[in-house]
Amino acid sequence: MSQLKDKQFKTKGELFPFMKRMLGYCFKYPKIMYSFIACVLVVAAVEAIYPVVWKNLIDNAIMPILSGTAGADTKEILIKYFIIFLLLGFILAGGVFGFINFAGRIMENIMFDLRQKMFRKLQELSFSYYDKAATGWLISRISLDAVKVTELISWTMIELIWGIGMITFCVIVMFILHWKLALVVTISLPFLAFISIKIRMLILRFSREARKTNSEITASFNEHINGVEVNKSLGQEERVSEMFSELSEKMRLSSYKSAYYSAMYTPLVIFGGSVSAAFVIYYGGIMTLGIQPDISVGMLAAFFGFATSMFEPILDISRFYSQAQNSISAGERIFSLLETEPVIKDKDNASLFYNILGEIEFKNVSFSYVEGIDVLKNFNLKINAGESVALVGETGGGKSTIINLICRFYEPTNGNLLIDGIDYKEMTTQSLRQHLGIVLQTPHLFSGTIHENIKVGKPEAGDEEILQALITSGGEEMIDRIHEHAGEAGENLSLGEKQIISFARAVIKDPSIFIMDEATSSVDTLTEQKIQKGIEGLLKGRTSIIIAHRLSTIRNCDRIIVISNGSVIEQGNHFELMRAKGHYFNLYTRQLRKEREVRSRES
Amino acid sequence: MITIKRLFEILGRFRYSYLGAGALLCLSIAFRILEPKILQLSIDNVLIKTINGKTNIGNDFFISTMLNIIPDVSTNSVGVVLIFVGIIFVCVSLLRGGTMFFSSAMSSSVTEHAIKNLKDRLFTHIQKLPVSYFNRILTGELIQRCTGDVETVRKFASMQVVESMRMIFIFVLSFSMMLSIHVQYAFIAVSVVPFILISCYFFLKKEMAVWEEHEKQQDKLTSITQENITGIRVVKAFALEESEINKFTEQNSLKKDWGLKLVRINRVLWPWSDVLIFSQIAISIFAGGMFVMGGEITLGQYLAFFTYSSLVTWPMRRLAQITTEMGITKVALDRIYSILDEKEEIYDGIKKETIEGEIEFRNVSFKYNDADGYVLKNVSFKIKAGENIALIGSSGSGKTTIVSLLMRFYEPSEGEIFLDGIGLNKYSKEFLREKFGVVLQKPFLFSTTIKENIAYSNPETHIDEIVDSAVHASIHEIIEEKLPESYDTIIGERGVTLSGGQKQRLTIARTILKNPDVMIFDDSTSSVDTETEYHIQNSINSLIKNKTTIIIAYRVTSLQFCDRIIVLEKGKLIEEGSHDELYERKGYYRKIFDLQLSIEDEIKNELSETSKEKSEKRKFSNSKIEI
Repeated sequence: MSQLKDKQFKTKGELFPFMKRMLGYCFKYPKIMYSFIACVLVVAAVEAIYPVVWKNLIDNAIMPILSGTAGADTKEILIKYFIIFLLLGFILAGGVFGFINFAGRIMENIMFDLRQKMFRKLQELSFSYYDKAATGWLISRISLDAVKVTELISWTMIELIWGIGMITFCVIVMFILHWKLALVVTISLPFLAFISIKIRMLILRFSREARKTNSEITASFNEHINGVEVNKSLGQEERVSEMFSELSEKMRLSSYKSAYYSAMYTPLVIFGGSVSAAFVIYYGGIMTLGIQPDISVGMLAAFFGFATSMFEPILDISRFYSQAQNSISAGERIFSLLETEPVIKDKDNASLFYNILGEIEFKNVSFSYVEGIDVLKNFNLKINAGESVALVGETGGGKSTIINLICRFYEPTNGNLLIDGIDYKEMTTQSLRQHLGIVLQTPHLFSGTIHENIKVGKPEAGDEEILQALITSGGEEMIDRIHEHAGEAGENLSLGEKQIISFARAVIKDPSIFIMDEATSSVDTLTEQKIQKGIEGLLKGRTSIIIAHRLSTIRNCDRIIVISNGSVIEQGNHFELMRAKGHYFNLYTRQLRKEREVRSRES
Repeated sequence: MITIKRLFEILGRFRYSYLGAGALLCLSIAFRILEPKILQLSIDNVLIKTINGKTNIGNDFFISTMLNIIPDVSTNSVGVVLIFVGIIFVCVSLLRGGTMFFSSAMSSSVTEHAIKNLKDRLFTHIQKLPVSYFNRILTGELIQRCTGDVETVRKFASMQVVESMRMIFIFVLSFSMMLSIHVQYAFIAVSVVPFILISCYFFLKKEMAVWEEHEKQQDKLTSITQENITGIRVVKAFALEESEINKFTEQNSLKKDWGLKLVRINRVLWPWSDVLIFSQIAISIFAGGMFVMGGEITLGQYLAFFTYSSLVTWPMRRLAQITTEMGITKVALDRIYSILDEKEEIYDGIKKETIEGEIEFRNVSFKYNDADGYVLKNVSFKIKAGENIALIGSSGSGKTTIVSLLMRFYEPSEGEIFLDGIGLNKYSKEFLREKFGVVLQKPFLFSTTIKENIAYSNPETHIDEIVDSAVHASIHEIIEEKLPESYDTIIGERGVTLSGGQKQRLTIARTILKNPDVMIFDDSTSSVDTETEYHIQNSINSLIKNKTTIIIAYRVTSLQFCDRIIVLEKGKLIEEGSHDELYERKGYYRKIFDLQLSIEDEIKNELSETSKEKSEKRKFSNSKIEI
């Protein structure tokens, strides 16, 4: 179905560098991190001591009762242990409060930081990056990947720290109590760890497959929700639903396989733990019954408890490991984005354009979007300040490229582009764009009112100015709707109306260089005429570059340049070119021919 | 609770499997419950007996059974007996693990099936929703619900459903075991549980409210991101980076605040339930000790009781977590159901072999639901079968709306539309859309090959037909010569790598291939240069000769071969007639026509001047020669 593919990352053996990096982010908040770790360890410690208290209770309180050696203070002893347990409970609760608080804060803080960094980076990156990246993937990097990665280093981290802490404390306590029995229990640990890892790897393999398919499913949803009108118009609802069903079936299978191995996992580990508990029963029992009882009943009970609960920390540690593997690809996507260097970057000592007169010169400029395929080769062109220039020619001939270069959305691969005689690479991009007014082929509005959309061009503009800009752009009839919502990407407005707002947005900037890239193709003649009339005055003495198909738009320009295959094949004003009877002449007399036909019919 | 009902609906078909899995789980837990009994057995009967020589008081069914299996205890054979006990323990553990495995595998299997069905259902349902729905809801949000929220439900169904069952079984079975040993002690051992349940319920309500708001804020952040990325060209063109960053930062902080609010709730809930649990244990221990003192229970029973008590209370800790996740899942379910509850388009209606193509609008008025003004006002016209009609008018005058009404994406607010004499709303929507071919204003292509895009309406189409359509749409040459893999080239998300004009031509080819009975071109050559447009028009002319066609365009030259022209202005039909008629009428059409033509007139004059000039030049040069 969909052929969208995101960059594939190797995930094996990348765990440590990934964790190191993530921890780097965490330790920007050292106080929170250390408190966090401390709280988890407190909880693990309480849970490790627990069996010891229990053992003491049995040995000091219960056994005496049974063997008849209990003193009169038994009840007090019981109360003592009651209070101890209660206290343990409060300490544990304190630790839990702590780690939830700190884990939560870490997660929210780092998620915030990562998202900020990514968004900033996206604003920096140049067009060439966006040409190759699918919007859906970029958005999910900020919305989903950030969550995945931060969940790992907060909530899942708890399991890791707790697991390690628990095992460490338990082992220490066990060895302090009775090293022989401790050995019996700890021998099972490596065995348990081994099973864990083996099965985890199997689970990982299938969950990776499932995740890949899942992203295809997301892409499919994205596409078919955006294209639902087309699907309906062409009656393809059923067919695409069937295709989707095949995709979801693929996902179901890998998801199930991964769950299947997961199901195997816990029982196996518990089994390992119970074997160890069985040994405790045997050896411990024997030891309890020795001539000089080696251990007390309480000790036996405590060790039994240790043996049966040792598997929990192992489960948690391995759960962390597999979650980490899961998150690595999300992490790599985030880091690769953050490490991308923008192709177009201002030089360190770049100056600012304060005023631009509007002289543009292409000096031996070559450019290609894709290496090897030159769109412009040794291109030369000089536009004088205040001149209005029309670029004409067939699609793909290089017209839009010229505009892209002037706006510095792309930079020449060879040669220089001079603005007012200065190589524009020596200046900041921002300062250049502040003097440009650009209206593109397809309008893109933001959510907000028409008023707000126009204001985008000049944030400090007053209401009067905004109104005037709208009128100048031929939007007289839209004045009373100026506070209406433009809708998500402007769905409440017709294409022509959206384009008028795009014009107003550029007009209000009072730019030194005005650029129109087929800006009136989707606007009707009358509106186009209105726009043109309004802008006419605006364009006088202002450098403007216009790409259009309509003769009416072009003919009033100071100069018309015919571009084909990346070179200038004709230039001059309208009359000169008509006289030359070249390419331009042919282009537009075809129109005339048609008109003549119509005319002759009517007369 | 509605949540449970909805969950049931999703998982319902597989309820027997879930019950089966539950039964296995119950069995698994039963085995788990036996384990403390084994400890009880070892301690009481084996050890104490060996030490003290007397048997314990509380023999029950399980103990008796086990005692029957293991050999009799005497001081010498203690080791052997203990081995037996150890073996019994391992066997029980194996059984426990085995049943647990099968139970999990089973419930995973059905969960995955159920979730797949849910996804399919959502997808299919969405394809059938009316177009008006998509104008109301944010696309990003919709996608989030189909992916993120479904995942939330899946996690819950695969983990928490089983967990909840496990907790219930453990509680019931452990409690029964405890009851069988000592009734009063059993009740003391669970006395705090009701408090835990009440606390969780109280927190659940709060949690859900906060979570819902948190999700909304998250959605808004995603929307801002989406808008920014799709409009990055405008952002850069207008040097808006800083203000976009500010906008993002504000929303990001807001989302963070709500996330922290959630943390503040959880950080109280969890410790509080831990305090309750430990109090429960402390109470149990104290009470148990008293009972042992009073000789009412044995040490072994005391230890067993302790384990059962733990089995009952520790899961309560998980209750807090499950509560949280239930809240989250409820919100996710609500969001998913808000989509499923939307009414689909009704697809039934009349279907005929072919349609003649006679279209009539009778006093049709239309306005969008939440809009103030009418987009179409009392429009009436009639198109004869096979007529080629041009529809012109200024931006926003209602032209595209007429197309939407014909395709039945929307229904008229007032008035009626007729097709071949029968009310349009009597026809099946599917049928209409099959017979009508529309080239939409905004070209949309799918991320697949050029071939598949053109043949989208029928993937079985032979390549020759596909090429034919491409030729008619004047795009064949470009495909062959400029695209790396020609018809097998894959075009990116939203057809990014092609220019606007190229995308338009592909959509024209797509519609041509469909060969519909009625064709509608909505401003489909706006981004195409005059020369190419000319080629396309010539090609298409032969195709639409006797087919009812509606062409919406601005350039008069695009319309000149049409039989009749309809002019709309601000939603009203102001002129109607053939080119000649409208020309004579000297109204709006004439105005436009003249405007566009006056330019050509000037060219003509220039041309004649040019040739005059040339002939004068020649005269001059001739005279020169003469001299």
